[in-house]
Amino acid sequence: MQTRFHPLPPILKVENLSISYATRYGEVEAVRQVSFEVNRATTLGLVGESGCGKTTVAFGILDFLGPNGRIVEGSIKFQGRELVGRSEKELRILRGDQITMVYQDPMQALNPSLTIGEQLAEVLIVHRNIPHAEAWRRSIEMLERVYMPDAPNVMKRYPHQLSGGQQQRVVIAMALLNNPALLIMDEPTTALDVTVEAAVLDLIAELKRDFDTGIIYITHNLGVVARICDQVAVMYAGELVERAPVKELFAHPLHPYTQGLMRCVPKLGITKEESRLYPIRGRVPAPQDRPWGACIFAPRCDYATERCRNERPMLREIALGHSARCFYAGEIDPSAWQPSKEIDLPVVEPRAASGYGTVLEIENLKTYYEQPSRSVLSLFGLGKKQHVKAVDGVSLRVPRGITVGVVGESGCGKSTLAKTIIGLESPTAGVLEFLGFDISMPVTRRDVKLIQELQMVFQNPDSTMNPAYTVGQQIARPLQRFKTVPPHQVYDEVIRLLHAVRLDPSYYDRFPSQLSGGEKQRVGIARAFASRPELVLCDEPVSALDVSVQAAVLNLLLDIQRRYGTTMLFIAHDLSVVRFFSDFVAVMYLGHIVEFGSAEAIYAPPYHPYTEALLSAVPIPDPCATQKRIRLEGNVPSALNPPSGCVFHTRCPRRNLLLDQGKVCEVETPPQRYNTEQHYILCHIPLEELRKMEPVITTL
Amino acid sequence: MFVGDYMTRHPLTVTPDTSIVEVQGIMAENNIRHVPVVEKGKRLVGLVTRQNLRISPIELSSLNVWEITRLLSGLKVKDVMVRGKDVITATPDTPIEEAARILVTHRIGCLPVLEEGIVVGIITESDLLTQLTNLLGLQVPGWRATIRVPDRAGEFAKITAAVASRGWGIDAAGSLPTPRKPGYWDVVIKISAATRDELVAVLQQIEGQELIDIRATGP
Repeated sequence: MQTRFHPLPPILKVENLSISYATRYGEVEAVRQVSFEVNRATTLGLVGESGCGKTTVAFGILDFLGPNGRIVEGSIKFQGRELVGRSEKELRILRGDQITMVYQDPMQALNPSLTIGEQLAEVLIVHRNIPHAEAWRRSIEMLERVYMPDAPNVMKRYPHQLSGGQQQRVVIAMALLNNPALLIMDEPTTALDVTVEAAVLDLIAELKRDFDTGIIYITHNLGVVARICDQVAVMYAGELVERAPVKELFAHPLHPYTQGLMRCVPKLGITKEESRLYPIRGRVPAPQDRPWGACIFAPRCDYATERCRNERPMLREIALGHSARCFYAGEIDPSAWQPSKEIDLPVVEPRAASGYGTVLEIENLKTYYEQPSRSVLSLFGLGKKQHVKAVDGVSLRVPRGITVGVVGESGCGKSTLAKTIIGLESPTAGVLEFLGFDISMPVTRRDVKLIQELQMVFQNPDSTMNPAYTVGQQIARPLQRFKTVPPHQVYDEVIRLLHAVRLDPSYYDRFPSQLSGGEKQRVGIARAFASRPELVLCDEPVSALDVSVQAAVLNLLLDIQRRYGTTMLFIAHDLSVVRFFSDFVAVMYLGHIVEFGSAEAIYAPPYHPYTEALLSAVPIPDPCATQKRIRLEGNVPSALNPPSGCVFHTRCPRRNLLLDQGKVCEVETPPQRYNTEQHYILCHIPLEELRKMEPVITTL
Repeated sequence: MFVGDYMTRHPLTVTPDTSIVEVQGIMAENNIRHVPVVEKGKRLVGLVTRQNLRISPIELSSLNVWEITRLLSGLKVKDVMVRGKDVITATPDTPIEEAARILVTHRIGCLPVLEEGIVVGIITESDLLTQLTNLLGLQVPGWRATIRVPDRAGEFAKITAAVASRGWGIDAAGSLPTPRKPGYWDVVIKISAATRDELVAVLQQIEGQELIDIRATGP
């Protein structure tokens, strides 16, 4: 324990910072009077929905605002010295190499045409005048410090030869080579898998401690905030609305916006029957539409009074170290909150799996991709064919009206499974029946009636809509194609569908570019449900959306599902969302379903060791919860050459429970062990052993 | 116990061209007395302390207020700093007692910590004194006992054995030769697991040693 009798000066002190951009609407204020401090060896989380000015603040500190952005007022003191108002040359020396930034997408931060080693060593050669050999040696040391396996060889590779998690490690290593006093991280783990994210977050926490670096961590994920931040600043529409130590913020959120954000996220272990997600109504106002001389959150606030609409609240300290920008902070009791009538909440009835009939029946389904062989023989058609076994023997029965969630890391075959069902890929072997009909042929040869009954909601609404067609035309298309309604009723039906996804008729003539991400996803949902399908496949439908929009879209899906009795296959990597949304969950690993059962059964022991590891990696939005720490080594092995025996044996942390360090796992395919009639685990470890394990997450 | 463990990382630094008015402001605002001067790549070129900024009244008495202002506004860090080779430095693997010795023998207040010419931290008198308080366990509340023992092998083991026999742990310990009494050492131990009476009973029973003081200390 280190004690200090005199506090050290903060690394960064931002006071009353306002930033504006010159746009065609005139000067628009993107950030308004933001103040915060970053101390040594602490992480400040900057939280809020997109468009709230988080990244603008970071760019303001770095002076990356671009030609049309400028700091209007306020002060940024870095290491005791003022940054605002200095010339570019002075700034470069002042900041020098003491501030670094890590971006969301590691691939964009690395130069694809240079080896990792050249890029790392360059940092030291340029900034520190260190000779090449020494720089090379230190770069290897730093790579080892960020737990990069086989560091000396990684130095010789190119960025595309590394996985996403490894690339992000390289970027973090590069940032730390300079030993910066301040590290700004802008959503560094959003693009990564949960298991990789967990490892990167562990790394960040460790490096903060070892290097005494002050970190600004920008994110919209409250789970990540709870896991690694010490202090949190909540931003809304360019203003800082609340600032507090992390535990204090989660225990007593004072500002109505913070309280609203907390109600938007599903807590792990909560189901749709037990609890609701309450989206915050409305959306973040665009910078030019923000009210002056009023509380900026008032239009969306359930507690807003006349005073809030006529006077701007100041950020004031309510409890020690806990400030909020609200007139009524401290008086509002979030537990007494009632949802306003303006938000629609779905009614959810519990469902049983039996007695509904089967919609989708998959048996021993295999989808292999042929890999071109590189040998000379293959030129003459004599080479041995190699296959990527993306889906390898999956059996699944989906009863009517039920939601089945599919989880797993990327590269586990989740999307291939969806593509095979929808008919974009042809299965190599196995039975694939939908409503009793064989659908193992590609989509082009399927009957129109079958296509109508089987629809899909895609992950990225931007790339799945034709930018040249209006929203109305896009939704009308399936209606015309499948003749769901007579031609003269198509318009009315589109309006009805728009209404069902809570968009008003004025959206009919809009183009996709005029919609926000959440609105586009609503149109995507309307289009999928237009043909009144029996089964809808949702491939990560909310992962690209902000938390409050995510809550609204999930509610919408629940509501539509209830009204039409639709069956859903819900693919996602966020285990809290899957648990909340699904009745049954299938855990996939390397083309196999390793565990299947009701949502409750999956999230409590006995677990498959892989499920256990996934659960321990999910960031939970509760800083007081304790979570078992299980981290998987390495990446998902190549499906071209999957491990023998149990496919998970190369990474399994529980193998040592078996005799001979789990020799049997390398040789034999594990048996399907049934815990209950509807819950099975594919593992050599007996269920009694698995049952003895403690739950991964315990909340106090 | 090396300098690298207890130094302040990322110290505030200035460049040779910073005006001394600004440096004075930085020192006053952040309540610090030493600022390393670096050039590109955080390479050390000098050191400014409050003493460097002191201008003797005799020098000033011959100037009027305008001349003083002009003098001050023109002065840069490079005009007043202790230069390059004259700055005494440490490395992260310097033992802390060695760092303390350097400070005392050169009668200075801080050592910039360098790794191959690059400033990685700074260690000051206050840092070392803070560690002295930690060494004797001031950060944990408990009993601080001073025991006078004869200068021969095995005496310290007697204390640890007596304490360990009761299942207590020693939170901190230090010893010095007894001043003005050759042949004896004073041992200070910090124990938080025991009550005062239990501890006194145990320590008084050790043969050949004398419990000379016991008191509660803590943060």
